[in-house]
Amino acid sequence: MRALSTAATGMAAQQLNVEVISNNIANMNTVGYKRQRAEFQDLLYQDQEQVGSQSDASGTIVPTGLQIGSGVKAGSIYRITQQGSMTQTGNPLDLAIQGAGYFQVQMPSGETAYTRAGNLSVNNSGQIVTDQGYAVLPQITIPSGATNIVISQSGLVQATLPGQAASQTLGQFQLATFVNEAGLEGLGDNLWQVSGASGPAVVGQPSVNGFGTLLQGYTEASNVDAVSEVTSLIAAQRAYEMNSKVVTTADQMLSTTVQAKS
Amino acid sequence: MDNTLYVSLSRQVTLRKELDVVANNIANADTAGFKVESLMVAADPKSPKGSPGAAPIQFNIDQGLARDFSQGALHQTGGTLDLGLRGDGFFQVQTANGVRYTRDGRFSLNAQGQIVTASGDPVLGDGGAPVSIDPTKGPPLIGADGTISQGAQTAGKIGVVRFASPSALKKDGGGYFDNVSNLGSQRAQDTKIEQGMVESSNVNPITQINRMIEVSRAYEQISNIMDGNGSLYEQAIQRLGRVN
Repeated sequence: MRALSTAATGMAAQQLNVEVISNNIANMNTVGYKRQRAEFQDLLYQDQEQVGSQSDASGTIVPTGLQIGSGVKAGSIYRITQQGSMTQTGNPLDLAIQGAGYFQVQMPSGETAYTRAGNLSVNNSGQIVTDQGYAVLPQITIPSGATNIVISQSGLVQATLPGQAASQTLGQFQLATFVNEAGLEGLGDNLWQVSGASGPAVVGQPSVNGFGTLLQGYTEASNVDAVSEVTSLIAAQRAYEMNSKVVTTADQMLSTTVQAKS
Repeated sequence: MDNTLYVSLSRQVTLRKELDVVANNIANADTAGFKVESLMVAADPKSPKGSPGAAPIQFNIDQGLARDFSQGALHQTGGTLDLGLRGDGFFQVQTANGVRYTRDGRFSLNAQGQIVTASGDPVLGDGGAPVSIDPTKGPPLIGADGTISQGAQTAGKIGVVRFASPSALKKDGGGYFDNVSNLGSQRAQDTKIEQGMVESSNVNPITQINRMIEVSRAYEQISNIMDGNGSLYEQAIQRLGRVN
């Protein structure tokens, strides 16, 4: 009975949906997290009577045909790269990106990863690093004793050094954008890497040529909307129940046949 | 032989197929752009040998699959390339097997900047060529007629077509329809594109569950008729076979 396996694909799809939703809810307070969405597509159809085929010699055409579908599959998990809201932290090394762009991060393997999480700090040698301790590219070092660290909207880092009246320029932040940022491959820890789907990184200065601007003293909150996640969760649960009802019905019909008197 | 059994069996076959269709509808209740389907059954009159009158026996056959192309609800997602269609049009998609049509407007960009479907196939513009946008020029704004603009510049236009008879479309899986009829498509003037929206499936879960209950009960009923018919024979054989 095809209905049994069709309903099983529906249950598997809804299970995946719940997994994606629960991951969104779990990351509601993750800095720079972008919510994800499971996208479903119908599975192949079996033609039992082809649309447009002739039903007799005089050329009468079957108007609709007879096609029976075999359920649903997960097409992709799409990352919605909508801007998250800004949370004020007051920390001079918290940076939020308003608009397009990712910070570039030097991974221990030598590769470059990308992140929207701008909760940065300084390591023991004065380098600006992410909260995992990976250096942000281009590397910027804050000398010890520097005060009044100011990061402009366009990414210029300035600070007052001990014994000097005027503030000194210490470096310039750069951002990377992608043709298809939803195509970046997740590494965990808020880090992403280039994939064949994302296209190569385009590096540039914040606030010019379509790059986002930096906001010092803020972090970008996740763009997860609790209300819409919970409603999707309810919908997914009900859809799962409905599919399991189909399994029960198909089973009942089979047992009716099996129990028929011979 | 015994027509009651065969007529009952023909109905049981269509009922099982009907459950398959309902199961597919329910499995796809959450698939964007999915259109609800139903099985069309018909009476198939036949006259057994030597029976009086014309065609007293009506078998049950499946005649076709009807697809209800009515509008699904548009729900807001906020995605810049989520496009919902309001009206009877379809997006055109270039696949490896030729042009396909879809109402699932959850698009994204590929690495070349082309607008593509969830399966990665490019969406065609008004002129029949893939549409590309340059993401560095700012977020695209897509108007109700499909015109894509980035700032003051126009980047292209998404083509939307309609069919005089959408029932001639064949389902291809993956949300795609294939035009197998010899009738061409026309530009859909009255269909509006809504940016940031996705069209849900038009499956009504209550109707589908109801249909499922009906199917399962009808199946049982017919099974009972077959049982009854069987015991009728049993009794007949026992009585007629009795010597006195």
